[in-house]
Amino acid sequence: MASVKVTCEVVGEGIEECELSADAAYGDLLSELGLSRHEATVLVDGSPVPADATVAADTVRVLRLIRGG
Amino acid sequence: MRLARPAHDAILAHAREGAPAEVVGVLVGGRGDDDRVTRIERARNAADTPRTRYELDPAEQIRLIDDIEAAGDEVVGFYHSHPRGPEGPSATDAELAAWEGYVYAIVSLADEPSVGAWRWTGERFDRLAVTVE
Repeated sequence: MASVKVTCEVVGEGIEECELSADAAYGDLLSELGLSRHEATVLVDGSPVPADATVAADTVRVLRLIRGG
Repeated sequence: MRLARPAHDAILAHAREGAPAEVVGVLVGGRGDDDRVTRIERARNAADTPRTRYELDPAEQIRLIDDIEAAGDEVVGFYHSHPRGPEGPSATDAELAAWEGYVYAIVSLADEPSVGAWRWTGERFDRLAVTVE
């Protein structure tokens, strides 16, 4: 299957290049970066995108979440 | 961690105003061996149960971070309050921490109000000495 390359800016950390299958979802991209969907979200054009949506951007920002109790 | 007195007082004021709910915000200044917090940015607690949880809305979080960096400052970490304690990170804080290497400050309003700071190593919180200056 064809692959796609995505440039990921992990906010506060740095930039990484990810190579994913063409049908990969944003949640798969997080996994590739060693992050779970519970600890980070993907932003496209400044807005969060669902983890189960198919990757459709070649540049994204990955934001680690701030949560606790 | 060095904490400027106005930033310290602003964190306490935010926590008191927000009680009994938890409050959350960003620590701003310079990162390094000796983190320096010069000011804070308040954020909205977007958690469904804000008396026991805190959560920063991702869209607000990224806007705050971009504005801080555009001003030439750095994100040192984040703060939140424990209106009824404990003084340190809760089990939930450790379970949900994601900013490895960054400071998590906690203001407890139980007993004598105080601001403590911990660095998340990715596995645990290491307590930092806080110097208010």
